Amino acid sequence: MTSDIHQGADQLKAVLSPDDYVLEAVDISKHFDGVFALNGVDLKIRSGEIHALLGENGAGKSTLIKILTGVLPQDSGSIVLNGVPVEFKGVNGARRAGVVALYQELSIVPGISVAENISLGDDMPTRTGLVDWTEMRRVAQEQLGRLNQGHIPVQTMAGRLTPVQQTMVAVARAIRVKARVLILDEPTASLTDVEIQDLFRVLRRLRAEGVAIIYVSHRLEEVFTLCDRVTIMRNGQTVATSDVADTTIDQVISTMVGRNQNDLFPERGAPETSVMVETRSLSGRRLKNVSLAVRKGEVLGIGGLAGSGRSELLRILAGAQRRTAGEVLVDGQRSSGLSVTAALKQGVALVPEERRSQGIILSQSIGDNIAIANLDRIGKWGLTTRGRVTQLATKSIADLKIKTLAAGQPVGQLSGGNQQKVVLAKYLARNPKVLLLDEPTRGIDIGTKAEIYALIRALAAAGTAVIVVSSELPELIGLTDRIVLLHEGRVAGDVPAADTDEEELLTYCYGRAS
Amino acid sequence: MLKSGGTILGFLLLVIVFGALRPDVFLSFGNLRNVLEQVAILAIVAAVQSVVMVVGNFDLSVGATASLAGAVVAQLMISGYGITLSVLAALAVGAVVGAVNGYLTAYLRLSAFVATLATMTSVSGLTFIVTNGATLFGLPKAFMGLGQGRWLEMPNPIFVALAVSLLVWFVLRNTTLGRRWHAIGGNAEVAKLSGVNVSLMRFAAFVVAGLGSALAGIVLTSRLASATATSGDSYMLLAIAAVFLGMTISKEGQANVGGTLIGVGILGVLSNGLNIVGVSTYVQQFLTGAIIVAAVAFSRLSNKGVS
Repeated sequence: MTSDIHQGADQLKAVLSPDDYVLEAVDISKHFDGVFALNGVDLKIRSGEIHALLGENGAGKSTLIKILTGVLPQDSGSIVLNGVPVEFKGVNGARRAGVVALYQELSIVPGISVAENISLGDDMPTRTGLVDWTEMRRVAQEQLGRLNQGHIPVQTMAGRLTPVQQTMVAVARAIRVKARVLILDEPTASLTDVEIQDLFRVLRRLRAEGVAIIYVSHRLEEVFTLCDRVTIMRNGQTVATSDVADTTIDQVISTMVGRNQNDLFPERGAPETSVMVETRSLSGRRLKNVSLAVRKGEVLGIGGLAGSGRSELLRILAGAQRRTAGEVLVDGQRSSGLSVTAALKQGVALVPEERRSQGIILSQSIGDNIAIANLDRIGKWGLTTRGRVTQLATKSIADLKIKTLAAGQPVGQLSGGNQQKVVLAKYLARNPKVLLLDEPTRGIDIGTKAEIYALIRALAAAGTAVIVVSSELPELIGLTDRIVLLHEGRVAGDVPAADTDEEELLTYCYGRAS
Repeated sequence: MLKSGGTILGFLLLVIVFGALRPDVFLSFGNLRNVLEQVAILAIVAAVQSVVMVVGNFDLSVGATASLAGAVVAQLMISGYGITLSVLAALAVGAVVGAVNGYLTAYLRLSAFVATLATMTSVSGLTFIVTNGATLFGLPKAFMGLGQGRWLEMPNPIFVALAVSLLVWFVLRNTTLGRRWHAIGGNAEVAKLSGVNVSLMRFAAFVVAGLGSALAGIVLTSRLASATATSGDSYMLLAIAAVFLGMTISKEGQANVGGTLIGVGILGVLSNGLNIVGVSTYVQQFLTGAIIVAAVAFSRLSNKGVS
C-alpha cells in the first residue's frame, strides 16, 4: 500500500518537477561484432542547457549520438523524450521529434543554395507538388534572422560561404524543425577565434529559447566558457556528470583518461651520435625548405596545426609524395624519393595516418595484410605460399600481442587498437632503419596506447630512428626526445621534449615565437 | 554459410531440375560434353575478366577483343601467313588492346568504364575493317584442330579453358603478383603505401585480360572454322555475369576463379537446359538477367545479416 502511494507520488513529481529532462538515455548498450561500444550509458539533458559530452577518442560519444539521433538502433536501453519513451525511425524520425545532430563535415551540401540547404530533407516547401521557391527563401531568411545572421545571402551556393557561415546555415537548418535538442559534434574545428565567439552567441540565444544543446568537443577551454553541465564518457560508459562550475579542467582530464597520463610513457633512452636520416632544404606540397636530422635511436616528434605540413613531411620521406626541391639522406645514402617501394628498400617505412583507408585492407586476413608490405621478402621467384604468409603473421601476432583467434581472421573484425598493431606489424616485419609514424595512437584505447609507446621506445633502443607526428601535444612531450614544430610548412621551433610544455609548443605551432 | 553455399546449391538445383525434366537427353554423356564445349570459350574470357575484377576494375572490351583476334588470325591465314605466325600476331593484337586499356586506366586514371567502353567501340570498328564486313572462311585444316579436335573423347577447347583457369587460379593464389592484385582490389591506397606499384600491376591485369580474350577469339574462330566481325561480342556480358555470380561464393565477395567457373557453369547449364526443354532464346536471355540479379541480391542480403 505505502509503496504504491510512494510510487504514485514519485510519478507525480516526475511530471511536475521544474527539473524536467527533455532527453534521457537510460541504460543504453550497443555492441559491434561482439565488442561493446556502449555499455549501460545514462545521459540526462535539461531543456535550456548547454551540456558538454566529453571523452577520449573511442569512448563512445559518436555511437551515443548516432543512437540519440536515430542513425543506429540501440541493442538495449531506452530513449525518453519529455518523459515518454520513444523509438526513432531513422534520422527523419528523430528530426521530426526535434532531436537533430550537426556534424562538422557532413552538415551542408556545398553545391546547392543556402535556402535549399535550410529546407533540405522531407520538409521542403511545395505548392501543387512543385518546389515553392519563394516560401523556401522566406523560411531561410526567417531562420537566419532568428540567429542574427540575416546578412547571409540565401540564394548563394552554400559552398561559397565561410566555414562559420556554413555552420550557421547548418544550425538554421537544424532549428527550422522545432529543435528541442541540438547536438553539435566538434563544431569549432575549422573556425577562427572570432568566428567561435559568433557561434557561441548563437548557441546562447538558442539556450535562452529553451533549446537543449549537447556539445561535443575536445577543446576543454571552450567547454568551460560555454557549457552549463558536463558528462564524461570512458570505455563506453558515462562515468561522471557535474555542473561545469563545480569542476576543473584537470579533474575533467583525469576522469576522461582514467589514470594519470604521465604513467603512460616509458622512460626516454639515449640516442647515438650518428645521424640516421637527414633532410636538406626539403620542399614539396605544403612543405617549404625543411632541414632536420634524426639520430640513430632518437625519437623525434613533429607537431603543428592541421595543414602545417606534418603529414606531408612523412609522406615525402616515405616516397608516397614527390618532393619538389632538396634532398633526403638515409644512413648516408641519397634517397631517390620516387616511390614507396624504393623507400622501403632503403629501410624507410611509414605507418600512415588513416588506419582504415591507408593502413589495412579490412576484408582481408591479418596474414595477407602483413604480407602485402613484405612480398619482396617472403616471395621466391615470384611465388609465395600460405605457409610463409602464416609464419610471418604468427610471429607478428606474438611479438605485438595482437589479440586474435588466428592469422586468418579478417582484420575488420579486430578492435581499433589491434588493427593499429597489424599496421605496425606490416612495416616492423621489415626491420626498418627509419620508422615514420603518423598519429600512431589515434582512436585506440589507453592500454594499447601504452603498449605502442613502449614498443616505439624499444625500437629506438635497438637503433631505429623514429619520427612521430601527433596532434596530441601531451603525447609528443611524453613520448619523444625532441620536438620539431612546423608552421605553414616551415620549421618554426626545435625543442628538447624533456623541458617544454604545451604552452611553449603552441606558440611555435601558431608561428608566434620570436 | 547459406550465403557462400547458395550459388553452388542453385547450380546443383538447375542440374537436378533439367535432369528430372529430360533425364534421357540432359544427363547423357553427349549432352554434358556439349555443355562443357559450349562454355569452354566463355570460361577463358571469364577467367581473365576475374583478374581485372580482382584488381577492382572491369573490362568491357573483352568480347570485342575476342572478335578482333579471331578476325585477325583468320585474315592472316587466308592471306597466306603460317598458322603459328598468325596465332602469335592475333595474341599480340589482344595484348596491345589490353595495354591501351591498362594505360588509360592505370596511368591516365580514366575510369575503367569509360576507357574500356571506348576501346570496345574502336576495336569493333577495327574488326569490321579487318573482315570488311564479310564472313572469313577457308582456313587451313591444321588450324581447325584447336577448336574442333578431341583428346580423350573431350573437345580441345575444354582443355584450353582448364589450362587458362588453372594458371589464373595459381597466379592469383600463389604468386606475389597475385597477392599484389588482391591488395590493390582490397584498397589501392593501402597497397601503394605498402610498396606495391599499383599502376604497373593494374596495367598488367588489363594486358592479361587482352591476351586471354585474344586466345578465346582464336579458339572460337577455329571452332567455327570462320570469323565474323561480331563472333565474340556476346562474351563480354556473359563473362562479367559469370564473375559476379562467382563473387557471391567468396566470403569476402571477391572475384575468384573457382567461383567464376561455377558462374560459367550456371550460365551454360541454363542455356543448354532451356534449349532442351524448348524455351526460346529470348526467354533464356530474360532469365539469365533475372538469375544474376537474384544471386547478387541474395548474397548482399545475407551479407548484411552477418555484419
